[in-house]
Amino acid sequence: MKEKRFYVLLMLLLTLGFVLVACGGDTAPPAEEPAAPVEQPAQPPAEEPMDEPAEEPMDEPADDMADDKTLTIASGTDVENMNIHLVTSSPSYTVLEHIYETLFYMNIEGELEPLLAESMEANDDGNFVITLREGISFTDGTPFNADAVKANIDWVLDTDNAAPFRFLISRIAEVNVVDEYSVEIVLDGDFAPLPAHLSHGALAMVSPAALEQGADFLASNAIGTGPYMLQNWQRDNAVTLVRNPDYWGNHPAIGTVIFKVVQEDSARMIEVESGTADVAVRVPPAEADRLAANANVDIVNTPGLRTIYIFFNVTQEPFDDVRVRQAVNYAVDVQSIVDNLFDGAAIVSRSPFASPIFGYSEQAPYARDVQRARDLLEEAGVEEGTTVTLYHPTSRYIQDALVADAVRAQVSEIGLNVQLQTLEWTQYVPHVRRVEEENDIQFAMLGWGTPTMDADYALYALFHSSEVPPGFNGAFYRNDEVDRLLDGARTTTDLAMREQMYAEAIEIIWEDAPWLFLYSEVQITAVRSDVTGVLVHPNERLIVTGADK
Amino acid sequence: MVNYILRRLFLAVPVLLGASFLVFISIRFIPGDPAVAIAGELATPAYIAQVRQDMGLDEPLLVQYGLYLQRIVQGDWGQSVRNRIPVTELLAERLPRTLRLAFISLFLAALFGIPIGVISATKANSWIDTISMVFALLGVSMPIFWLGLMLMIFFSVQVTNWLGLSQPFLPPTGMGEGQPDAWKYMVMPTLALAANSMAIQARMTRATMLEVLRADYIRAARAKGVHEQVIIYKHALRNALVPIVTIIGLQFGTLLGGAVLTETVFAWPGIGRLLVDSITFRDYPVIQGAVLLVAAGFVLVNLLVDITYAYLNPRIRYD
Repeated sequence: MKEKRFYVLLMLLLTLGFVLVACGGDTAPPAEEPAAPVEQPAQPPAEEPMDEPAEEPMDEPADDMADDKTLTIASGTDVENMNIHLVTSSPSYTVLEHIYETLFYMNIEGELEPLLAESMEANDDGNFVITLREGISFTDGTPFNADAVKANIDWVLDTDNAAPFRFLISRIAEVNVVDEYSVEIVLDGDFAPLPAHLSHGALAMVSPAALEQGADFLASNAIGTGPYMLQNWQRDNAVTLVRNPDYWGNHPAIGTVIFKVVQEDSARMIEVESGTADVAVRVPPAEADRLAANANVDIVNTPGLRTIYIFFNVTQEPFDDVRVRQAVNYAVDVQSIVDNLFDGAAIVSRSPFASPIFGYSEQAPYARDVQRARDLLEEAGVEEGTTVTLYHPTSRYIQDALVADAVRAQVSEIGLNVQLQTLEWTQYVPHVRRVEEENDIQFAMLGWGTPTMDADYALYALFHSSEVPPGFNGAFYRNDEVDRLLDGARTTTDLAMREQMYAEAIEIIWEDAPWLFLYSEVQITAVRSDVTGVLVHPNERLIVTGADK
Repeated sequence: MVNYILRRLFLAVPVLLGASFLVFISIRFIPGDPAVAIAGELATPAYIAQVRQDMGLDEPLLVQYGLYLQRIVQGDWGQSVRNRIPVTELLAERLPRTLRLAFISLFLAALFGIPIGVISATKANSWIDTISMVFALLGVSMPIFWLGLMLMIFFSVQVTNWLGLSQPFLPPTGMGEGQPDAWKYMVMPTLALAANSMAIQARMTRATMLEVLRADYIRAARAKGVHEQVIIYKHALRNALVPIVTIIGLQFGTLLGGAVLTETVFAWPGIGRLLVDSITFRDYPVIQGAVLLVAAGFVLVNLLVDITYAYLNPRIRYD
């Protein structure tokens, strides 16, 4: 009796084990599988079902793979969802900008090119008229025309849709369809950076038919005009794109692009080393040298658009005195931070924003000079050992806490006693952006990316007096001349004049030192040597439309 | 027995209620405003307020919990904030993957762990015993992510180079779902996961076997001249299995929610990674759903373990 029961149990366990092992491979496509087994018992002749299943799997892959090449990219994070109007992260844009296209495109040199638009002109009323490229269709057959542009801009402007990048075009009062291929954009006041803002992925053109289906549909479907179409999305595993056979522009050489999610840094590097992936993004600086030594892998360094800085609250002692702010700038050796904490994979700031951005102009960095810093402090009447508190985030930016600690150590050498304070990120931002009466921040670390690649985005929000907290001008920096220049550059469309105005503004800001200027990030990408044409855009997008292998 | 199972299932309700309440309350004590996390750092206060209202985060805590329970019972587990699809859909997609990993690795672990333990116990202090226990110690103390990376470097890079293959010997990460060679993707994650469980089971089996083998009834059986193999596998192992089954049950429960490291290293999107990603993103509906699911799994596995006891040792009665 007992023996029997024991064996029954053993059998059960074994069966369970085998069933599970057998189930292993089948779990994935439950949607398609049930159809076949149902049909088989229904068909009596034994020969037919034998033949059919043998043929089908043979045919399909042969068709698909005809002349096709597959490019696999190991990315660190998955797409948030497929609605390009709602996503906020660069990995999402990287995938979706292969499916969706914008009216204008900011190229790698930071020059604006027309894409779905053909041209843009100011009309007599001071509004913009955009002429669209003709003969383009979305992959669902919907024509791309003025109605489609209006539908998309209206969707983003509609506050019910809560588009996070609505603010990019919040100055648009109205969009009017002039004719099939031209739209008039009515602005609420002059706004020169509009074309640059329209190049942001968040304002890409989605099929109006898809927009009508609602947010739930858009979250998992992508219907655009781009060189690729969405084939399949396995959440947190992989997104597969296939070439759009009816693409209006140059057809890409690669037929299938797979964005594979590999979160763990080392595992992602092994992917590209072993050749299962052709490209790996976000190479940890410490691994770059090892990978570069591998003959099959090339390392690509691309300057990024994110600048890391520490702002001084210029309304609070002791940083209300420009000499103290300059002293701290002289105290910190940013180059040593870049060399030691980033293995050189960061660029010392010579401007409040990164070099690929329109309007960039270089200033001489504050070179480390402890004596000069001490003299400045003495002139300002700051006593030796004065305590100041530095707020910094942790795990938000690369090495952020370590950088804060390095700053603490170096600033303490000029006689200021720096205390470090940190907060969890979602608390941190509201805390350092409290309104003036409640704000007791002395100095704090933040990062700022400029995805539009235009200085307006980089400077206006951070240094214009109208943008003090709850805006992003956490320094409470107020300078009439800077305000005048930023306003001027925002309303004139003359590029040379804008450049000149930004250069003047940057010079004043650099001298006034409302920030401890730190560094901008560098993106490191690993690409297999047999792959060509992969572009790493400064705005953290990877573009494989021109790739081949 | 049926009565017992029904009673246990009934008792599972308050356990699940308690678990759901604990999760519900504790994630709201995590520092950080979910509305800010969701809206993003560039959001205006008005937008944040709207998000808060949309998610019902402006209601009192208990009201939020009440509403949540009501919806759970109706089968509406909420919508993922990050993916904007129903939580149930996400869980249904992830659970089979985690189960696959958990079952196979536990199966492997038991297949090797228990016999190794038995052999070590019967040949206590021999060289076989020493070697097995050294490996078991290694298995227990090796961090899984390290072991995972080492396996990857070995099988995907080194072995591939030695053999001069154009494709990796074993693919380093991913699942290969729907591909004919999907099993290849399973090898390393299950090995990494099994190593630890196997080591624990081997040590546990050895310890309990040593104890049982010293018991009077074993001595009596030996005195009667029962064959040594029968003594070991029928009389001793069966009694020793009770604590081992308990451990396996616990391991299974842990694997359900806790294979996070393995799932992360091998880019295996299962329940564990879903849970961690959701916590980072403050995706409340998903955190709650996943924890509830894991808790239910735990309850179920424990029930199975208790039922197994009765088979192993008929003296254990449930009336």
